[in-house]
Amino acid sequence: MGLQISSHLHPDSSFDLVDHPVPTGREEVWRFTPLKRLRGLHDDVPLDGDGFDVKFELPEGVTSHGVEAATSDRGASGFVPTDRVAARVWAESPYVRTIDIPADADVSEPVVITVTGTGAAAPIARQVLVRAGAHSRATVVLRYEGSATWADTVEIVVGNGANLTYVTIQDWADDAVHHSTQRALVGRDASLKHVAITFGGDVVRHDVTGTYSGPGGSIEMLGLYFADAGQHVEHRLFVDHNEPRTKSNVVYKGALQGERAHTVWIGNVLIRKEAEGIETYEENRNLVLSDGCQADSVPNLEIETGEIEGAGHASATARFDDEQLFYLRSRGVSEKEARRLVVHGFFNDLIRKIDVPQLEDQLVATVEAELAKNVLAEGTL
Amino acid sequence: MTFAVACAVTDVPADEALGVTLGDLDVAIARDGDEFFAVQDLCSHAAVALSEGEVESCTIECWLHGSKFDLRTGKPMTYPATEPVATFPVEVRDGSVFVDTTTTLNGVTPS
Repeated sequence: MGLQISSHLHPDSSFDLVDHPVPTGREEVWRFTPLKRLRGLHDDVPLDGDGFDVKFELPEGVTSHGVEAATSDRGASGFVPTDRVAARVWAESPYVRTIDIPADADVSEPVVITVTGTGAAAPIARQVLVRAGAHSRATVVLRYEGSATWADTVEIVVGNGANLTYVTIQDWADDAVHHSTQRALVGRDASLKHVAITFGGDVVRHDVTGTYSGPGGSIEMLGLYFADAGQHVEHRLFVDHNEPRTKSNVVYKGALQGERAHTVWIGNVLIRKEAEGIETYEENRNLVLSDGCQADSVPNLEIETGEIEGAGHASATARFDDEQLFYLRSRGVSEKEARRLVVHGFFNDLIRKIDVPQLEDQLVATVEAELAKNVLAEGTL
Repeated sequence: MTFAVACAVTDVPADEALGVTLGDLDVAIARDGDEFFAVQDLCSHAAVALSEGEVESCTIECWLHGSKFDLRTGKPMTYPATEPVATFPVEVRDGSVFVDTTTTLNGVTPS
């Protein structure tokens, strides 16, 4: 067995597939996931597909290579699979895509990698390793489009004093399945902003762990998701406070619309004995825009020391606030426009926090397009 | 209406359902005396196969949390389930049970 995490919510980690039996759906970590729709990723379907195109936009100084898995530096973040899909990706991924930001570099333009799936029939396994050198500053955007059955692992290693923004955008076609296991290791006094934006895909399940390799590190996890009819969008976040005076802040906001739109948000923070003086907060907000949706939201805290600055969490799931709508209408705003404004207000303050100017307009436009499908359509609510 | 053969009459026990797969759907076939019923083999509360539960006086019970569903209407009679499960038309011909999974009797879309 590999690294043991003393968290009640996380199964023991191991590279050996034998330690990860095929889930039945009854396990704590799988109980929200529609296993039948994972197309066998959790079972034993071959992961040898390669039906995708990839486009790189690398600013000067940033390097990216496809390194054969066996000779790569994978595992640099301390990654050890905690579920069967991750263990299978580890065993079957042919190579690791590395993205390296040199030490002390200040990269103003974002690194953008766009993956476009060209068919969901053959499942694909891939691995990504992002390394931000000490005292560097950069933004890395990984964008997924098209149609695919995609399982991956992503490792993010942030060097001492570095500042990295990592954005993963799931703008998949309606028939895509995406399972991702991610682990970030944040160095001394470094900060990581991890952003997950999910609009498309039939099933999207992300399991993100953040941890520290020195005191004073900071992790911010931001999420924005929009689930339409029949979509399953699941985000599982875990911050492992294993170093003193570290900070974490998790904010995920989502909207649901249409019959059987389902979102799952599991937030967990572990404050270890040695993690004195830490500060953590996690929050999830869901806006239910139509009947027939389901939002599951489970914040957790596991505290092993009381010598901390602060720890808290919050979760709320609700439909439109009638008073807000009434107020807007009393000012002469039409009902449709009022609904649009309320949803924009809900997301905008998160989009501002993401703070990647190159993405901002696009995100606002995508939210608008999603709204047009349902909320602004005639005759609803 | 496209009826497909699901099983033989003698395959269905009196106090339990039989799980069968028809096309993309898992269906639980159950009986109340000589009357046969077909419901989607998935509890509307958590992802549990109803065919693993007990059948008694025209109800099927989900074994995990104990919700009972009326086989005729698909409606839950006890918590924690609150939504009905899809029910399908059944015909018995020459000792075989035929089920039409393209239509539902209670208007519930199978998930």
